[in-house]
Amino acid sequence: MTFTLFLLGALYVALVVAMLAAGVNGVMVALIAGGLALFNLFGSDKLALRAMGAREVSPAEAPELHALIERLCIQADLPKPKVAVADTRMPNAFALGRSPKSATVCATTGIMELLSPAELEGVMAHELTHVANRDVMVMTLAGFFATIAAYIVQFGFFFGGGHSDDEDNPSFLVLFLVSLGVYIVSFFLMQALSRYREFAADRGAALITGRPSALASALMRISSGMHRIPQRDLRAASELQAFYIFPPGAGKAVGELFATHPSMEKRIAALQRLETQLQARV
Amino acid sequence: MGFFDILTGKRKIKGPAPDRLFAMSTAAVTLDMTLQLRSSGKAAIVFQPLATADFESIVTDMEEVLRGTGEDTGTTVQRTDDSFGYRWMVLEDPDFEDLVVGINVVSQALQDGGYGDRILCAVFSFRDAQDRRVYWIYNYKRGAYYPFVPAGGEQRRDTEAELRLKAQIGTELPVEAELERWFPLWGIPI
Repeated sequence: MTFTLFLLGALYVALVVAMLAAGVNGVMVALIAGGLALFNLFGSDKLALRAMGAREVSPAEAPELHALIERLCIQADLPKPKVAVADTRMPNAFALGRSPKSATVCATTGIMELLSPAELEGVMAHELTHVANRDVMVMTLAGFFATIAAYIVQFGFFFGGGHSDDEDNPSFLVLFLVSLGVYIVSFFLMQALSRYREFAADRGAALITGRPSALASALMRISSGMHRIPQRDLRAASELQAFYIFPPGAGKAVGELFATHPSMEKRIAALQRLETQLQARV
Repeated sequence: MGFFDILTGKRKIKGPAPDRLFAMSTAAVTLDMTLQLRSSGKAAIVFQPLATADFESIVTDMEEVLRGTGEDTGTTVQRTDDSFGYRWMVLEDPDFEDLVVGINVVSQALQDGGYGDRILCAVFSFRDAQDRRVYWIYNYKRGAYYPFVPAGGEQRRDTEAELRLKAQIGTELPVEAELERWFPLWGIPI
């Protein structure tokens, strides 16, 4: 984790140096990317909820879910987040919001039907830990420079090729290549960071509920439930992958490096280690 | 939660705050005298039972102790598990002081066993002059009480009555300052 963060940092320093060396109007780029990151932090909640077809529910509409989350909040000493439900058969849950005060946790109707109360409790505790750990903020900030690099790359694709005459500025090519490199490497580092945060959220959930095995069994049930889902739903969901309890279509992931979530086997193994520790506690 | 904790995502679950449970012993007198809130003779402590061997033995031992002392004090103990998987130890005793002591026996036993972070809350049950249910809930993690008055009907609470109670009790009880932490508990069995 620390190593990943260090690598990300080093990478971004390299990008800044390359940008300055190339004499690019870095301020402009930073402003645009900064604005996007800010929008991501402050405005994306509602957008993401709408994209998922989720809506906030009152305690009267979903009494069980509200009561479950309230108890978890007492245990985790968190203020209660907004509660939303997405009406889809895909069993999943996710958390949004930059800080515990402005957070929303969402469950799909599919996951509420699929899981037992104890399993659902584990899943919601996982999402609440994302909230407590401020994962949305961490991932947005960590992705800040990756976004800048991505824009430079796109900028290069759209406008760089146009005037490849003798006047072409060679330093722009260098910057383009560095940005491409930064983009690619930071992509993998971000995925590694995301996987780490997933493990942390699993661990946090186990601490809140005291039942690692319930979460493990929920993960198994969700992953087997996942494959019965129509393809269209899976694709429609791909944008929000990083904040899901379990990413849609993860079974088809080409390699570990590309995944935002650790593999099911590793997560369950980690949870089982926690259960062993719990049982052996003296 | 510090900056480094945010970075690493390693957040520890909070243990109980300094114990202010016994503030209820004296506050109950005020509740009775000035607000006509009488104890229903019941109180409960709610916790997550863990499926580990030593947790079970701690709970069993603690129940033994409670039943033992109950023969002197007249406190009776009942346990029920609710639909959320939480265990309610319901104590019954006409003497309010004994109820507070009994609740403390349970929480102390769990804390001594290293399971203090599993306690959800303690609930003291009262009835007002119109025989309506009024609860004072003690949140161990925050070391504070808050009132909970269910109104008639599903998932409804009488927020007005709760806020009034907070003002009336004043400084006699440590009352939770953040209103969004006044978590309701539906279906309290006492």
